[in-house]
Amino acid sequence: MTVQIRASQDGATATFHLRGEIDLANHVAVEEQLTRAISNEATLVRVDLTEVSFIDSSGLRVLFALTTRLERLQIGLELVAPEASPARRVIELSGLASLVTVRTDLA
Amino acid sequence: MGVRTASSADEPTAEDRLRLIEGITDVGVALQDVEDVLTDLLDRVCEALGVDTGAVLLLDARSGELVATAARGIEEEVRQGLRIPLHQGFAGRIAAEKRPVVLDRVDATTVISPHLVARGIQSLLGVPLLEGGEVVGVLHVGTHAPRRFTDEDVSLLQVVADRITSATRPRIAASERQATLALQRGLLPHALPDIAGLGLASRYVPGGGNAVGGDWYDVLRLGGGWVGLVIGDVSGHGLHAAVIMGRVRSALRAYAIETRDPADVLSRLDNKLQHFEAGEMATVLYAVVEPSLEQAHVSCAGHLPPLLTVPDGESTRFLDLPVDPPLGVRLGFRRHATSVPIPPGARLCFYTDGLVEERGTPIDVGLERLRATAGGDTAEATCATIMSGLVGSSILEDDVALLVVERLAVDEQAPLELRLTAEPPVLAHIRSAARQWLRSTGADADEVDEVLLAVGEATSNVVEHAYGPEGGELHVRFERDGSTLTVTVRDHGRWRAPRGTDRGRGAALMEHCSDEVRVDRTPGGTKVTLVRTLRSIGGGS
Repeated sequence: MTVQIRASQDGATATFHLRGEIDLANHVAVEEQLTRAISNEATLVRVDLTEVSFIDSSGLRVLFALTTRLERLQIGLELVAPEASPARRVIELSGLASLVTVRTDLA
Repeated sequence: MGVRTASSADEPTAEDRLRLIEGITDVGVALQDVEDVLTDLLDRVCEALGVDTGAVLLLDARSGELVATAARGIEEEVRQGLRIPLHQGFAGRIAAEKRPVVLDRVDATTVISPHLVARGIQSLLGVPLLEGGEVVGVLHVGTHAPRRFTDEDVSLLQVVADRITSATRPRIAASERQATLALQRGLLPHALPDIAGLGLASRYVPGGGNAVGGDWYDVLRLGGGWVGLVIGDVSGHGLHAAVIMGRVRSALRAYAIETRDPADVLSRLDNKLQHFEAGEMATVLYAVVEPSLEQAHVSCAGHLPPLLTVPDGESTRFLDLPVDPPLGVRLGFRRHATSVPIPPGARLCFYTDGLVEERGTPIDVGLERLRATAGGDTAEATCATIMSGLVGSSILEDDVALLVVERLAVDEQAPLELRLTAEPPVLAHIRSAARQWLRSTGADADEVDEVLLAVGEATSNVVEHAYGPEGGELHVRFERDGSTLTVTVRDHGRWRAPRGTDRGRGAALMEHCSDEVRVDRTPGGTKVTLVRTLRSIGGGS
């Protein structure tokens, strides 16, 4: 896989750090891994895209789907993408930024 | 069954025996392999001595075991891979003590081989096979009926043993060398990968005689446009060194895709080698080149320094790198990684000591000769010049491995053309190649990212929509005219409208990241042309 996912937990907040590239080849696996790892006890999910060097419309599909699903379950979602990072640009271009909170760092 | 005595009429005479022994050396069947030659010899031995069984076991020095290699009358010893540890049992004793042994009682207390007992062998005579005073194996013969082997029998068998050793050793060396070469050819890259922005060339020449084995080189795509360059030398010679080299090479690749820190890769490799292959040693030099090709990060484990030729002023010098211990020596210390700038047009030569070492001459002489010889217009020309200057027509004792890497100057940059099957995994390859090519145009990171995004969408479309289940070809071409970049993405399938829900973002991304997007649909396929002015590189090439 050209992408790695590392999960960390802090109370009821689950953070997923993604590193690598998300594209047509692996976006389904990424979505499965993320959804499987989120339990209904979480109150907030953060997806850290700081180390994502490439994400295209397939990757966006994953983020949009996650947004919809977590909203339904009343679990909060935050995306982390530094200014001018590949992920940030794509998020802004796609209009996702108006649906979900996007932070520049994990702090 | 009666006891046979020495004066029995059907036993061969001394004359017969001599003739048969001489016959053994006439087994000039050059094309037979070792087992066949030995089996043939054993036939004659059994006849000459009037015995029922014969076997040859050869010593595997590394494991300290005798391996049944040929047998007559007890073929199962060979078929079942019988191994006798030195010092144990009958054959083990002969090898350990380097002298003949006669057994008149054959049971589990005196022999290890269950086959000897099962066949009802009652008497055994064995002698060591010696070469230069060292044991290389054991030859033994046995009889179903009890027999008193005489001193004459022993001397005769000893003579046979000598002849066997001299007849078969050259064959064993040759077949081992064949195996090593085959293994090594299988392990070394046949063709170097095509990496945009880099010129690559290499040579591997096995040393004469037994000196084939542990040298290797490797060029690795690490994902995201990073490139790994490896040169290494496992200690020792022959098949064993080549096998260890295969493992080290493979393990390095595994660690290389996990971390881009070359010191970390070598430390892990060291750990693995010492854990699983204790006692083995290797020198390795590993360089990780950034996607921009601007610099490489190098870690050196006891290996000779690479040569760097810089085009401005044409200076050639050895890299001044900290030299950490080779792999396999000790653990628990920190390995170094050094950043080395690589200007456009610069060339790096990685090599093994076989290229510069000559018996009786200090190594600095060879190194200086390399430095003075390394020159040529391309990586390939440099390889050829070095090999003819340092190797010429001599047969070197040691292997030589040579890898030359050139960072192509920007104006030498040819268009990037890729033809691949339209499947999801190729998208990452395209990005990797494109990233390097784009960076070597001098475009900055942001522009590169946007171009990759646009191209990614166009290529993903082909993978998803252009073909039916049988698939088809995806053809991508990048070219630059001054600061204008043109990318064409072609397929020869049939265009169809996007399907499913939650789609349509791709086209918007493509439009946003390009100055112009043209889509030409024909019955023969679709061509998407993306044009963009690379603002970060200004005008002109």
